[in-house]
Amino acid sequence: MSIAESIQSIGFLTAFRESAMVYPIVMTTHLSCIAVFGGMILMTDLRLLGVAMTDRTVTDVVNQFRWWKRVGFCIMVTMGSLLASSEAVKYSPNPYFWAKMSLLSLVAVHAAIFRPLVYNNTAAIDKERTLPARARLAGALSIMLWLSILTMGRMIGYWDGPGSPSKPAAQNSHTAAVVQLATVGRAPSR
Amino acid sequence: MFLVYDPTTNPLNNNDWAFPLLECIHIAGFTLSIGTIAIVDFRLLGLGTQKPVQLLKETAPWTLVGLVIMLISGPLIFSSDPYMYLGNYSFRFKMVALLVAILYNYTVHRKVVLAGASPGVNKLVGALSLALWVSVVAGGLFIAFV
Repeated sequence: MSIAESIQSIGFLTAFRESAMVYPIVMTTHLSCIAVFGGMILMTDLRLLGVAMTDRTVTDVVNQFRWWKRVGFCIMVTMGSLLASSEAVKYSPNPYFWAKMSLLSLVAVHAAIFRPLVYNNTAAIDKERTLPARARLAGALSIMLWLSILTMGRMIGYWDGPGSPSKPAAQNSHTAAVVQLATVGRAPSR
Repeated sequence: MFLVYDPTTNPLNNNDWAFPLLECIHIAGFTLSIGTIAIVDFRLLGLGTQKPVQLLKETAPWTLVGLVIMLISGPLIFSSDPYMYLGNYSFRFKMVALLVAILYNYTVHRKVVLAGASPGVNKLVGALSLALWVSVVAGGLFIAFV
């Protein structure tokens, strides 16, 4: 049995995968968190770029959203882990899944670099007359990273298996792609 | 015109990347709109220090940008398979929820934030707003499952 098979055969993950309603509900939670907390990431980044909430200091904006972004991130990772591990056999060969995971690890690199330079150093940034390049760079890279993560996440559902780069769009739509991903492992009747 | 429309002629259905990328634009759009509304909602629920009315003024233009992105990308997605969407109960639910959520956002929600209200009313208005927008997201996702 492969590693992926062992993971997804864990009792509760099997039950999770085979439930008709739990899987889409967890997906909805994942997507709702993206909507609710992703907005805070975007607004922080846009403030660092100097285009949004410019009446307020960088310190204000960064601090206001910081803890909420962390809470949202934890929920998203929990839901995402459930979605991926319960379908480990389906996800493990999927290049878009690994692209998403690699990009997520770059978020840690981004934090390691820009936390001391920008996010933990906002008082110094607010003292400067114009937004320093490091703040703009942090915001721009963060937006690019998260939009790429979003795109790779969505593309996971469009990958058809080895040898088929993506499905011919004429034969599928949103529905087919999501159902195809979500119904693997369910009873054959579905 | 609608009666003779053949979705297979839609460019969205004849390119591998067009449809998924449009979905990504749609998700990014509603993240911006719902996310900025949620910022105000969290404040109404009592979290944070900024006055709700200030937050609303700062985020409202971005809510509108997000709404425009999602209201352009959404109908384009719809055009890829209109007959399927029209008959889909989750899609119908989503359209009603969306209409209610937008109306609510620009009437009750906006008025309460601008005028200021008691903490109890604020909490109720913020919670209802979050619930409405989450049900729009849920309605969209469940299109693929009903």
